Amino acid sequence: MALLTDELRAWIGREVHYPAREELGRASIRYFALAMGDDNPLYVDDAYARAAGYPSVIAPPTLICETCQYAHRPPDEDGYIGHEWHLPVPDSRMIRAGNGYEFMRPVLPGDRISVTWKLEDIAERSSSGGGTQLFVSSVATYRDAAGAVVAVNRETLVYQPLGAQ
Amino acid sequence: MIRPTIDPATIRVGDALPAREQCFTQVDLVAYGAATWDWHRLHYDLEYARSKKLPGTLVDGQAFGAVLARAALDWAGPRAFIMRLNFKMKSMAFAGDTLVAQGEVTAMRALHGGMHLATLVQRLMNGERVCAEAVTDVRIPSSAGR
Repeated sequence: MALLTDELRAWIGREVHYPAREELGRASIRYFALAMGDDNPLYVDDAYARAAGYPSVIAPPTLICETCQYAHRPPDEDGYIGHEWHLPVPDSRMIRAGNGYEFMRPVLPGDRISVTWKLEDIAERSSSGGGTQLFVSSVATYRDAAGAVVAVNRETLVYQPLGAQ
Repeated sequence: MIRPTIDPATIRVGDALPAREQCFTQVDLVAYGAATWDWHRLHYDLEYARSKKLPGTLVDGQAFGAVLARAALDWAGPRAFIMRLNFKMKSMAFAGDTLVAQGEVTAMRALHGGMHLATLVQRLMNGERVCAEAVTDVRIPSSAGR
């Protein structure tokens, strides 16, 4: 069965923008570092961060690339509140294939970060198990309040049909 | 007194990064999900995970990137900056797994402004299994003029 339908192809090129709702904030930075068990003082100690040449504490690099913090919607049946395309794919399991992060500058607690997602490509490939799966490539561009790009996240997700396995 | 940043003049291609171990218990998965606004059932609801034909609750794939970034910055020091981190997932990890970030320097080059760029190849191991592989570019200032 072909997974890549014309209906699905029409999604390629779509964009969605999530505006910044508030500053990133010190609490978010400290929470992420704590969850990671990361005791790097750059994330919690202003005097230390200034001695290392930063204006204040900074965010761990991958924090702003985390997908769920921007969409602001109630949880769906999977409990998920983040960005997703809601592609018309039959009962399937979604697996991450990889992310390519590019960072332009350290992000500070006062930064108001917005993100624009673009669906760049959908491709169908055969899996090792003999079935087919869909590779969905998206790019997220993160901008500060002045519109300057602070990070880019190229993400590939794989949709594996559950019925076919 | 801040930790010293690695002196790019001392870095050689082939240098190994210290291994960085990170265990993801069920509590850690809940903490990471909470800190990243990720309420997806895959990360804490075992019955749900099994309904998706998974053996356990799933470690968020983006957490792999966070572990690799941390390992690179712990090696390079507070003035270093990650410019690029490209990771590919090779296998899934589940609650209770201990992941170990390894890596080595594969290239060094000078940038303008007294900066240097170290390219790392990193691996995230889950026992004998490779969880993720990454290529990471870290910008490091020269010791002179710090």
